[in-house]
Amino acid sequence: MTQTTHADVLGPASDPGGDRRPPRRAGRLARALAPLPWIGPATGLILFVVIWPVIAMFQTSREHYSSLGVLMGSAGWNNFTRLFDEADLGGVVMRTVIWVVAVVALTMLISLGVAQMFNKEFPGRRFARWALIAPWAASVVMTSIVFRWMLDPNNGVVYVLLKQLGLVKNFNTTDTGWLGNPTDAFWCAVFVAVFVSIPFTTYALLAGLQAVPADVYEAAKLDGASPLRTYWAVTLPLLRPALLVAALINVMNVFNSFPIIWELSGGGPGSQSATTTIFMYQLKQSSIGEAAAMSVVNFGFIIVIVLLFLRASKWNSAED
Amino acid sequence: MALTACSSSGSKSGSSASGNTTLKLLAPDYGTAGGPDSSQKYWQGIADDFHKANPTITVQVQTIAWTNWDQVATQLQNKQYPDILLGDAPQELAASGLLYPLTDVMSASTISNLIPVFAKQEESNGVAYGAPFTTSSRALFYNKKLFAAAKITDAPKTWTDIQNDAAKIKALGNGTIGYGLPLGPEEAQGESYLWMLGNGGGYVDSSGKYAINSAANIETFNFLTSMVKAGDTEPSPATVDRKDMWSAFGNGTVGMVGGSGALIPIIKTAGKLQTSDWAVTTMPGKSGPLTQALAVHDDITAFKSGGHAAQIKQFLDFAYADKYQIQFDNEYSLLPATTSASKSLSASDPVAAGFLATVPNAVVYPTNSNWNTVKTKIQQSIGTAAQGTDPSKVLGTLQTFASSN
Repeated sequence: MTQTTHADVLGPASDPGGDRRPPRRAGRLARALAPLPWIGPATGLILFVVIWPVIAMFQTSREHYSSLGVLMGSAGWNNFTRLFDEADLGGVVMRTVIWVVAVVALTMLISLGVAQMFNKEFPGRRFARWALIAPWAASVVMTSIVFRWMLDPNNGVVYVLLKQLGLVKNFNTTDTGWLGNPTDAFWCAVFVAVFVSIPFTTYALLAGLQAVPADVYEAAKLDGASPLRTYWAVTLPLLRPALLVAALINVMNVFNSFPIIWELSGGGPGSQSATTTIFMYQLKQSSIGEAAAMSVVNFGFIIVIVLLFLRASKWNSAED
Repeated sequence: MALTACSSSGSKSGSSASGNTTLKLLAPDYGTAGGPDSSQKYWQGIADDFHKANPTITVQVQTIAWTNWDQVATQLQNKQYPDILLGDAPQELAASGLLYPLTDVMSASTISNLIPVFAKQEESNGVAYGAPFTTSSRALFYNKKLFAAAKITDAPKTWTDIQNDAAKIKALGNGTIGYGLPLGPEEAQGESYLWMLGNGGGYVDSSGKYAINSAANIETFNFLTSMVKAGDTEPSPATVDRKDMWSAFGNGTVGMVGGSGALIPIIKTAGKLQTSDWAVTTMPGKSGPLTQALAVHDDITAFKSGGHAAQIKQFLDFAYADKYQIQFDNEYSLLPATTSASKSLSASDPVAAGFLATVPNAVVYPTNSNWNTVKTKIQQSIGTAAQGTDPSKVLGTLQTFASSN
């Protein structure tokens, strides 16, 4: 509207005069906008897939929804107060920290060894490398369900083996109730998480190992360095970029991991084997707003992890 | 993705120019999806008969397995409402203003045929917003083979009987479970209620206010904890779902379990126990059998969003015929929700008659408007009170949640 009026008033008078400034400005604008067709779709996608859900999540966390999804008005900070009043929350957060640290540390340690082995020539190496892909290629939900059945208190194959070894006296007793006991269930979940994280980590580290030039090792050998010393002073520092990437990708994956604990124990009994991701889902069943508040807190954790990642990669490129 | 979302979200189901109406009906599958006992077939049968009698109304049937029932919550949260829903009690839906009052969608003669104890359960502030469609009542199932092997002669009558019998049955070894106590998320509210009633407790007091952490209930869970600790139940009951415990009973490895008629087809399908190998008795209480059985019901509710009150009324009056009620009960060993169907079923089916006899005097779940939400919370956490966490703490948290939400 305003544009039309503007043109109507100024158009006839200014056009014949040939004022060149507006076209030039338009040209500059056009040049500035020239990349838009190329970056536009990606930007649009990010706005739609990342930014919009984040905004929706923050909004939901401040609103009061009935459990049927009907908006009952604003909740202020109530969802957060209720979340922080949850008796289980402290344990859940602690468990999440242990979960991330334990799974990532064990995965990195084991993968370092496996990658080192796979970097050596040995008969059947090709087969072994392929075999390692299996846990990675299989759906995590599927793997978790397989483990749940292996640990079925009535006839799980793990317990059958233990019984034949004389370590378990009877089925359907506390001997065979690992998944029902919060501590045992949690460590079973850690085991499964390590199991499914090793392939990716090993391949990432293997790629790093293969990138270490052979002449560095030759030089170390000439200088008379022991194998341990070579590993410590040559291999590990040169492996640092691969280690860093593998560790950080694992941290995020493990922090967000939902299916393993959910399939093994459902976070139960109660929330006693839940991490923050599982706890968020449990809350959703009775209170959407409180679950959104938990998501906001989780989002905060992720931001911290991302910042640490950015810092670490800066430190990495500076030293390289 | 976006396309499917758009096309399925048209909740204003079609009234075309020619005056034809399509009603959407959403129901749980009490049988197996795709199997001969699927509820999809049952409802499609009614829908076809109805369409023949009323050619201008088409009923579109969708059934969802109980194990995926949370999809329905998601559908409702996304405002994809059916016209008719079979499922949970109506109070929470009514409080959100989504439902027709029952009198708008069911004629007076059909309403007066509903079993009174359940019909009363459909009310919020004196107005009914739903109708019971199928019901069941709870009792104790026990394995006579295991009882004989453990040299137990009488059915248990008190908690102490259960405790002693369970200990003897467990001692048989081979992974035998004495008493199956499914306090996992699937239906913990039901199992807990059976035990609370045995001690004169319950979820609400006589005035209808929540009393989840009453002294009686705490004592009940202290007793359950002692049974779990002694190994008289399966290990870690807080993670065991009812369906798993029922199929274990069907496989003959459980001495006693709380069940409804719906357990009978499971026993038959498993094929391990003959009809003479198991029996049903009243659920024991602390000092004697329960005087009132726990009865549960699944309800029909009608949504306002489609604006088809008149057509829904025609369909519901049609579907509540004795013929369809009894067909459903024969299919799934559940009980009818209408007085006339109860009468004719009692005459023909002695097992159902036994369960039906307990119904008029039955105890039911609370009808507080937030019960569905509270129930979800109970399912999630009440089991921990029998598995090492202090019952007064667990029940106290639930009480606070129930009275503050």
